Amino acid sequence: MTKKEFSFNQAVNEIDKILQEIESGVMDVDRLSVEVKRASELIRQCQKKLKSTEEEINTIFKDLT
Amino acid sequence: MNEKLTLTELQLIIKDSLYMALPDMYWVIAEISEIRENYNGHCYLELVEKHPDEISIRSRVKAVIWSSRYRFIKSFFENSTRESLREGIKILVRAKIDYHEIYGLSLVINDIDPAFTIGEMALKRQMILKKLEEEGVLTMNKELDFPLVPQRIAIISSSNAAGYDDFMKHLTGNSFGYVFYTALIETPMQGNETEAGVIRALEKIAGHLEKFDLAVIIRGGGSQTDLSWFDNYNIAYYITQFPLPVITGIGHEKDLSVADIVAYRSLKTPTAVADFLIECMNNAEISLIEMIKKIIEKSRLIIEESKIHIDSSRLKLIPVARMMISEFKEELSGILIDMIRTGKEYIMRAGLLPVNHKSRLISGARSNLSARVTLLTGKKQSLINHSKNCLNNMNNKIGRFDSSLKILDPENVLMRGYTITSLNGKIIKKSVMLKKDDKIDTRFSDGSVSSKVI
Repeated sequence: MTKKEFSFNQAVNEIDKILQEIESGVMDVDRLSVEVKRASELIRQCQKKLKSTEEEINTIFKDLT
Repeated sequence: MNEKLTLTELQLIIKDSLYMALPDMYWVIAEISEIRENYNGHCYLELVEKHPDEISIRSRVKAVIWSSRYRFIKSFFENSTRESLREGIKILVRAKIDYHEIYGLSLVINDIDPAFTIGEMALKRQMILKKLEEEGVLTMNKELDFPLVPQRIAIISSSNAAGYDDFMKHLTGNSFGYVFYTALIETPMQGNETEAGVIRALEKIAGHLEKFDLAVIIRGGGSQTDLSWFDNYNIAYYITQFPLPVITGIGHEKDLSVADIVAYRSLKTPTAVADFLIECMNNAEISLIEMIKKIIEKSRLIIEESKIHIDSSRLKLIPVARMMISEFKEELSGILIDMIRTGKEYIMRAGLLPVNHKSRLISGARSNLSARVTLLTGKKQSLINHSKNCLNNMNNKIGRFDSSLKILDPENVLMRGYTITSLNGKIIKKSVMLKKDDKIDTRFSDGSVSSKVI
């Protein structure tokens, strides 16, 4: 687990921040597309984390037990 | 007293005396220090009473529950307390004294009151909880942040426990397709080894904290429900101090052990723990989906608002634009008309003029040219003739003038006796032009003389 681990919490916080900005209405249309793109990428990563197996972790866990 | 007794006679006296002195059934409080069933279903126990230090033994006695009673007592006790009769628990027994010549004194138990044990266990739990509370650690595990995604799970259980299989089956077979990573740290889940085993397992997990999101302690249900192994101060203390949330599923329907109470969350069965974890994952996914929805919705709204803004601007602009357009149109049509006219002229000039007038122009030019040439030739000749005449006339005139001039020449005049008087070079034609003392010159044909006016 040397590589930088994807943090679901951090991702969700970031998505939430983007959402709040969008909701607050301070975001212009130009930035909107950038931020929505970022949010969708984060969401994609989050969904991936929930449902795709990382063999690396499996291996580490096997060594532990 | 000189009478001698055999050992048996003595034993019989003791026996009779005991029976006479203690003829009744007695309710006796004791702790089981040993218990075993033999092949024919009788249950043999050793009961003790400890000093308040809970270690040193104050008194001890053997006891037996005959198989005929044991069957009833055991099932009633276990159903009531959800505990098995085992060493370490306190019981209230109804017993009578038995004395055997070979085996000595023992208690024959014919009833056990489960309510006492329940009370005792509750009391013990209360004591432990009170101690944990006094130490300020009781709710420490509950105060931890629960991970949004409880995906990497350290499992404390025994691999042969049915509960572990149930848990794994449930977890890995979840209908949402969520991925879980599990590591089993095996330890006995009941018996005297429980305390040390569970603590060792927790310590092992604590050595790899970064690899786990949480720990679960699970154990199959069924008859193996000796909750009191987890009414244990040390296990509970370790759980309160554990840096990851601990979830228990140690298979008890009604009561909570101290471990359950101090854990982040306690559920009745391993399956329920699995369900809970799946639900957490599902909640995480739902909240993601909610956020996606909101982002889409709000983005649409922003775009819609921008559209409306643009539309309203457009509407405001239309009259202005129309006016500008009509102005341009007018200007353009003026220019266009001009252009058409000019164009027509050009076309006329460029097209019609050459076609109709070119030849006329050329022939006109030609005839004009030849007429001019003829004219010029004529004029040239008459100019020559005229010039000759003029010259002749002039010659004649000059000849005439010459003779006249000869008559008028002053020299000739002077010769005829006239003089020319001048004052300072200026010819004097009248006498009034002179005054006294003017020095005048008088020119004669042969010279001049100067004289003074008197």
